[in-house]
Amino acid sequence: MGGTFVVTLREGFEAALILGIVYTYLQKIGAERHYRYATRGGLLGVLASIALGVLVTALSGPLLDLGPDLIGLGVIFVAVIVLTWHGYWMQQHARAMKGDVQRKIDEAQANHRLWIIGVIAFTGVFREGAETVLFLWGLLTQATSTSGWASALGAILGLVVAALLGWAIFRGGRHISLQRFFAVTSVFLLFLAAGMFSTGVGRLEGMGVLPQSPTAWDTSFVLDDHGFVGRFLNGLVGYRARPSLLEAGGYLLYLIVAGALLFKSGASTPRSRAPRGRISAHAA
Amino acid sequence: MRRTVALLIAGVVAGLLSVAGPAVAADAPPEIPLTVDTNQFQPAEVKVKANTPFVLVITNKGAKAAEFESKELRVEKVVPAGKTVNVRIRALKPGTYPFADDFNRQVTGRIVAE
Repeated sequence: MGGTFVVTLREGFEAALILGIVYTYLQKIGAERHYRYATRGGLLGVLASIALGVLVTALSGPLLDLGPDLIGLGVIFVAVIVLTWHGYWMQQHARAMKGDVQRKIDEAQANHRLWIIGVIAFTGVFREGAETVLFLWGLLTQATSTSGWASALGAILGLVVAALLGWAIFRGGRHISLQRFFAVTSVFLLFLAAGMFSTGVGRLEGMGVLPQSPTAWDTSFVLDDHGFVGRFLNGLVGYRARPSLLEAGGYLLYLIVAGALLFKSGASTPRSRAPRGRISAHAA
Repeated sequence: MRRTVALLIAGVVAGLLSVAGPAVAADAPPEIPLTVDTNQFQPAEVKVKANTPFVLVITNKGAKAAEFESKELRVEKVVPAGKTVNVRIRALKPGTYPFADDFNRQVTGRIVAE
């Protein structure tokens, strides 16, 4: 039971974090009526995961060999793009926050394509979704014995705990000031996207598209990425115990380029005092 | 802005398709069978020639889906129950490359390239 609990908790964790952040984000900018973007994106992610799970079970031959890999790669890079764009936009927005907050927010809603939120929710769920569907499906077909039921129950509990974490972020996020929320999440999303980018680079390397590069370092004796903590750090910030040079280089390159884009000139915006009161009043 | 994103996404998709092409068309590398079930990989140690690409033909004989995963090889591949999946592995330098069933972590094995 414990084993299956950890698998689904891990798979569901990232999706829960991302959903928690995008809902909080919508709530922060006073766009509660646009929750549907996140909801639809997330639901579509679930449906797509089930569809891919069914498809993988039905397919065979080259389609099964390559199809899921290509879809997986596509999802990774699309997620990197939308997360980067969103992070960039949040920074811009946080900077513009000095004047009349509400007016700025209304402008922001008009200008920012909120469907991006939907894409972020979709990729967040879909990235590990099909895998989770197949894993659960396998367990449920085995849930005839007592131990089978325990395994299935463990897996479902893992997803529930992941969902609760997402919910906790949403609840907790309401009490943070808008600027701090933007600052914290844009940095977090930057690292998350860097980890995804590096994973994508690694996959391309594994597929032989990018040349094989030597191992950059080996920290598996300190923190193995097969272990519990290592795997969570892997999902969160892209930690790898034995990255290849290309993976490590890709990670750094992404951080530098996207970091420069996000925090370039004017990033040291004067702290605004106005937003705090307005936003918390608005949030309540 | 919307157009930029559409272009970016189109670029990514095109890139992926160009990846799929050569992967399918290349010469047939040697196929190496590997089975997995609820308890073990068979063989648990796969011997391959170093510096030669090969195809792992993984058959899941168990009743549950398995996920062949190797951080060293950068491969993560779900193998549904009763299915066979081909995984192309690039030429490996001599060495040991551990793998595991990510859905069932105590089931492990390794590839030894020499």
